[in-house]
Amino acid sequence: MNWVHSDAMKNEKPLILIIDDEESLRDGCRQALEKSGYSVIATGEGVEGIKIARENKPEIAFVDLKMPGISGMEIIDVLSKEIPDIILIMITGYATILSAVEAIQKGAYDYLPKPFSPDQLRSVARRGLDHRALKMETRRLREEKEQMEKIFITFVSHEMRSPLVVIRQYIESLKAIAGDRFDKDVTEIIERCAIRIQGLEELIEHWLDISRIEAGTFVQKKETINLSHILTRIEEEMAPVCKAKGISLEINVPDKLLDIIGDEESLVRVFTNIIGNATKYTPQGGKITISAQREDYFIIVSIADTGSGIPHDKLPFIFEPFFRVKGKEERHEGSGLGLTFCKKIMESHGGEISVTSTEGEGTTFLLKIPALLSSTGVSQTSS
Amino acid sequence: MTMAAKKKILLIDDDKDFLFATKLILEKGGYEVFMAEDGKTGVEMWKSVSPDLAIIDMMMETWGEGFSVLNKIRATDTGKDTPLFMLSAVDLQGPYQSFEPPENFPKVNKVLHKPVKADDLLRFIAHELGA
Repeated sequence: MNWVHSDAMKNEKPLILIIDDEESLRDGCRQALEKSGYSVIATGEGVEGIKIARENKPEIAFVDLKMPGISGMEIIDVLSKEIPDIILIMITGYATILSAVEAIQKGAYDYLPKPFSPDQLRSVARRGLDHRALKMETRRLREEKEQMEKIFITFVSHEMRSPLVVIRQYIESLKAIAGDRFDKDVTEIIERCAIRIQGLEELIEHWLDISRIEAGTFVQKKETINLSHILTRIEEEMAPVCKAKGISLEINVPDKLLDIIGDEESLVRVFTNIIGNATKYTPQGGKITISAQREDYFIIVSIADTGSGIPHDKLPFIFEPFFRVKGKEERHEGSGLGLTFCKKIMESHGGEISVTSTEGEGTTFLLKIPALLSSTGVSQTSS
Repeated sequence: MTMAAKKKILLIDDDKDFLFATKLILEKGGYEVFMAEDGKTGVEMWKSVSPDLAIIDMMMETWGEGFSVLNKIRATDTGKDTPLFMLSAVDLQGPYQSFEPPENFPKVNKVLHKPVKADDLLRFIAHELGA
């Protein structure tokens, strides 16, 4: 076992590449670094250096800034893009702040002005390796955390929902085997239980959606679509709901609306959420008006109702999770996460959601989505 | 009213309560119900009982076990043409959304979403078994 171990240790010697056209400097560096237990490959030629780096993936590369042929800056540029986690240190005989800044912008970790002592060389190599280890560890932890979050979401979705599904299935079987023998109030109790459980399922569902958006695992198929298509779907879906509540639904969309990039399903959910809310707070005989128009580089959709409105002091909070406008005694059904979901979806589209409201007159939601500007028909695009 | 033997239905699901709840509905519908709590038992029971229809949970123990059970049942002599239902409690946004059955995927007569309404369940079964 000891043999294997020592062998493995030998292989773990950090590999340092030195690219410098000055032979004495290469030799000096090699000796200083090998004495400290590093493996060293040195070359006096830039293109050769890049080739060696690609093949051997060194942990650190010292690169001379000024060499004949390819410049140190170019080497740093190439290696920082191609070799993952490589620590690049610029060696320079005429260290200027400007060249150092440029090298660091191109991905160098540090620079070493000539002349330098073996101790300085070893110290910067040691720091570079520590930095590299930390960077890799951070990335590993971040990936692990993301993985855990994904697993957690999947776990929750299965473990929390299964019991609820089973309870609802039991309620179904209860109704099937004994429903005709129940008194009216027993049936009502069972119905109410079923409704509350369904509400809990929806709550979990919405919470999961929001967690998924935050974890970046919410599945969205972003493609070029036109809001008029989405609003046609909305009309089909929501007109019957409005009709049942005695509310009129009016949709005004200009003939030619610019396309957007978006996920149809989640945008449809944004609309059904907001319109669904509007139907809850709008009395019979009221009206919900949806209109869309272009404003600069955005499409603005307004969803206005003639409902009870939201008190001024509560407006800033309505997109917060579980915030409810109404008091407990007049609680409406809903997960309390609908508008939070809408906000997150709008943000994931590079858009915004905002609200204005006057108590007793109604509420207007504004959705702002970046329009897809075609190269023709738009005289100028300043960005 | 005929006095024909009751039609047999095999339920395969790893949730005991789901099995029991569904069994009550099926028995109320006049079927004889057999239950299996895992895929392996399900396939064995399929061979020994020769049911007229089977309902298989898509997501047992491991994702995909339901599909492997489906494959095995379809590969048996009696399983070629027997109606098979799949059960899913998988939400549309879940990690399994991307699952797309391959070209030669065995036939599923109906995909049911949990929980299943008693009326719907009995209606779908009656439709398949022509009761």
